[in-house]
Amino acid sequence: MGEPILATSGVTKRFDGLVAVDDITYEVAEGETAGIIGPNGAGKSTFFNLLTGYFKPSQGQVYFRGRDVTVLPSYQRVMLGIARTFQLVSVFDSMTVMENMMLARVRQGPDYDSKLRFFFKNVHYKGLERECGEALETLGIAGKADTLTADMGYGEKRELEIAIALSLNPKILLLDEPFAGLSLVDIAHISEVIKKIKGKFTIVIIEHKISKLMDLVESLCVINEGALVCNGNPQEVICDAKVKACYWGKEDMVCY
Amino acid sequence: MFSKVEKYPALTLALIAVSFLIFGYSTSLPKITDFIIFCIFVIGFDLLYGHMGQLSFGHMLYLGAGAYGCGMFAYHVYPDPFLSLLVGVLVGAGLAAILGLVVVKTSHAAFALLNLALNEVGAYLVLSPLHTWTGGEDGLSLFFKSYGFINFSDRTFRFYFCLAALLLVVLLVVRLVRSPYGILLKSIKENETRVKFLGYNTYMYKYVTFIISGAIVGFSGALTSLNLAYCNTSLMAPSRNVEVIFAALMGGAGSVLGAVVGGTAFMTISNYLASYIVRWEMFLGVALLAFAFWFRKGIWGYARKL
Ligand SMILES: Nc1ncnc2c1ncn2[C@@H]1O[C@H](COP(=O)(O)OP(=O)(O)OP(=O)(O)O)[C@@H](O)[C@H]1O
Ligand SMILES: [Mg+2]
Repeated sequence: MGEPILATSGVTKRFDGLVAVDDITYEVAEGETAGIIGPNGAGKSTFFNLLTGYFKPSQGQVYFRGRDVTVLPSYQRVMLGIARTFQLVSVFDSMTVMENMMLARVRQGPDYDSKLRFFFKNVHYKGLERECGEALETLGIAGKADTLTADMGYGEKRELEIAIALSLNPKILLLDEPFAGLSLVDIAHISEVIKKIKGKFTIVIIEHKISKLMDLVESLCVINEGALVCNGNPQEVICDAKVKACYWGKEDMVCY
Repeated sequence: MFSKVEKYPALTLALIAVSFLIFGYSTSLPKITDFIIFCIFVIGFDLLYGHMGQLSFGHMLYLGAGAYGCGMFAYHVYPDPFLSLLVGVLVGAGLAAILGLVVVKTSHAAFALLNLALNEVGAYLVLSPLHTWTGGEDGLSLFFKSYGFINFSDRTFRFYFCLAALLLVVLLVVRLVRSPYGILLKSIKENETRVKFLGYNTYMYKYVTFIISGAIVGFSGALTSLNLAYCNTSLMAPSRNVEVIFAALMGGAGSVLGAVVGGTAFMTISNYLASYIVRWEMFLGVALLAFAFWFRKGIWGYARKL
């Protein structure tokens, strides 16, 4: 196992009375693909929100490659290489697919550093369009470049959102339920995409159902009622008694 | 057909220039000069509202800042028209840079009302505490130096000068809107939080946009002083904020040509209807209802599809 790329020590998030994330100490190793599972309302998304700076933790620290990023604003974390997608797909409906890509891509390129070009250069120029086209190609939606995003299906929007995240030069990619709400065909497709990019950088995937993760991840972590129940080798984790207890009665929870 | 016009900035500029020349010579040049200056105001306002999604109820403050900046410089310091214009723009931008630090942190209703509140404060300041310099209720009567044909007491010159100024502003904003920054504005309008997760410091861009808007609106205020050869409190009157909002809605928010169409439509209604019907504002109200319910995209939003 490599060095941890992202780690937390005792992070807690309280909403008024509710403890959504309860004292979680977690780390994910550089280059690995990790899974996070847990029942509804367990605090998985909130945990992601702490990692990415959407929320500041009530207590505890977040570290990126050893650096304390607990209070670093989200946009600066993105520039460190922490990219994410949202549980409910979040792309810009009022813009075309190409414009969505360009917005993400431009931030990483030389046109951002030259303010003259950022403010005045026509965004539709060959180099950028080609780069974005290639990124869309990876997700199989290159044909949709000029479509208004609002007119796309939910599955395609999710593919776009992943394409956007990939074009942010991520060192670690956090996917919040990438399969939720998709058809079986789309699930298979996204699963293929993840297999293709896996290993190039670190990936953390939140899922409800363990079965979708088993052939993708090298480590698995279970969160229940805000607390980390178990973390480690997926095979061992799913046979753990505490894990079984919190998933009791759920047929998806078979011990392989 | 009209959507093509937007694709080519040169066509946009030509369309605007030709239309105002025809308007100007078929009606009256001074009147259309007022229209043109108002259109610059609408464009500056709409950069914030239509393009970035922040509705201000107080942009008369920046119109007034530009007008008084220009007027007070000409009156107290030196009556060079170009320097006075420049000072007007800088005062508009500078005031936006100072107030924007706080204003930009708010949004929606708070943003709208905070701008209105600041507008009220500004209007009070020029009326009373600063009256020694602003001329208080009477305002300032202005005189500008002339250099050969550059003569701001000549109405034909003023018309062409303001038209050129409008074309310059249109060109500037068209380029801004087509750039990566333009896409960023659109995305902030739709979902600011999401933009942060693409690595953008949205606060900074909202701040910069607020300043650009203040500069353009200040420019239109300075042109007003130059055009009228006076400035007074009506140029900062908070009650007049509805005018620019009406105009932006009527034309179609979020489009440079829409702003020009809206500015012209509003001025036509307020100038011509007013001479036939005393309570013309009522018709404006009815028109606004029609736009709110049936023509959400404004006049230009529909015309571009023709
Ligand atoms: N912004 C918020 N304000 C108040 N409570 C919140 C907020 N976000 C989440 N919560 C609460 O925190 C708890 C954890 O929510 P979270 O969304 O993290 O769960 P989850 O594990 O992602 O669940 P799911 O599988 O349904 O996505 C829930 O009880 C939720 O209602
Ligand atoms: Mg969730």
